[in-house]
Amino acid sequence: MTDSEQHPYVEWIAREARRPVVTSQAARDRVMASVRNEPRPQARPRLWHRALEPRALRRSPAGSALIAAGLIGIGVIAGVVASHRDARAPAGLSRVARAPQLAVSDSIVKFVFVAPQAAKVSVVGDFNGWDSTKTPMVRASNSGVWTVTVPLTAGRHLYSFVVDGSWSADPTAPLAPDDGFGHENSVKLVRRGSAL
Amino acid sequence: MTLARGGWVIAKDMSDDAADVQRVLAGDVDAYAALVGRYYDRCARFAVRMLGSRDDAEDALQATFIRAYRALDRYQERDRFSAWLYRILVNQCRSVATRRSHRERVFVREEALLLNAPDRTPNWSGEDEELVQRVLNELDPLLREAFLLKHIEEMSYEEMSALTGVGVSALKMRVKRACDRLRERWERIKND
Repeated sequence: MTDSEQHPYVEWIAREARRPVVTSQAARDRVMASVRNEPRPQARPRLWHRALEPRALRRSPAGSALIAAGLIGIGVIAGVVASHRDARAPAGLSRVARAPQLAVSDSIVKFVFVAPQAAKVSVVGDFNGWDSTKTPMVRASNSGVWTVTVPLTAGRHLYSFVVDGSWSADPTAPLAPDDGFGHENSVKLVRRGSAL
Repeated sequence: MTLARGGWVIAKDMSDDAADVQRVLAGDVDAYAALVGRYYDRCARFAVRMLGSRDDAEDALQATFIRAYRALDRYQERDRFSAWLYRILVNQCRSVATRRSHRERVFVREEALLLNAPDRTPNWSGEDEELVQRVLNELDPLLREAFLLKHIEEMSYEEMSALTGVGVSALKMRVKRACDRLRERWERIKND
């Protein structure tokens, strides 16, 4: 603990701030009233849980070489398929899909942000060059819910929302480590062929 | 066994939490009221100290508990429910603070007095409460958040890092800077 943390004034502020705040039963009731209007969450099948759990894989050197060879093969096939798919892409692609960073997509991801007071919301991320003008979000009529769908390649993507010019991480997603620029970014993991 | 540290990590609650979550997922919505009752006050203290406003804190709390409910099927029992909930709460407070930064906020004396009813804190002075909240509000939000998690919620730096996604060394620096700002404030008061 530093000298500043042991300073009597700092300790006094901390001690006073630790006092409980009084909350009302009405506020709790409002929470439960909203909850009762929500669709019921359901337990995921255990098999799906197991599939999502991180595991340590042990492979012999020979086994690893075989797997690597197989992955290279799959990558080549996927590249061919993707190139072929792009060649057949119809002229009426959406504005987002036309962005050069998004030439090949593996999944359609729907971004959602609730900002009832906002006038303008967009999503920025490594998929659009962190450009707040490239992927504007659309407000659902008569609500504060802003959405946009973005085709993303498989992998780990960092993103954030820009709300009337201010950056805001996704409150429902894991945060990435501090980017060093004072921004908190969120993380989206995209699996090939998955869609949200 | 009860492990009370900072009033928010309690071993008994962990098993109660898991059981309540299972009941909710099995269709018993009322079981969620038990989770709300168990954590609302603790979350309220952080939200009020962080946002400095009863209305904003209630907005953040409402959003936190609803989002947690929506995502309950993604909660993994190997994590503490309290830590998982706090992660959502911290993010909600950041979102509310971001939205609030676009409009002028004035922390009025009456609001401060409302937050601390004298019957719950008999030796508590409303003026002290207002002063403490004003002092906290003067801190940069990132410094305030780190200070509150460390010294009010009494979390370890590892817990804070898991919760915020910020590295331990960066968090230590933020807490130190927050304490430095408070000490500097004290020096200014003393010299005035």
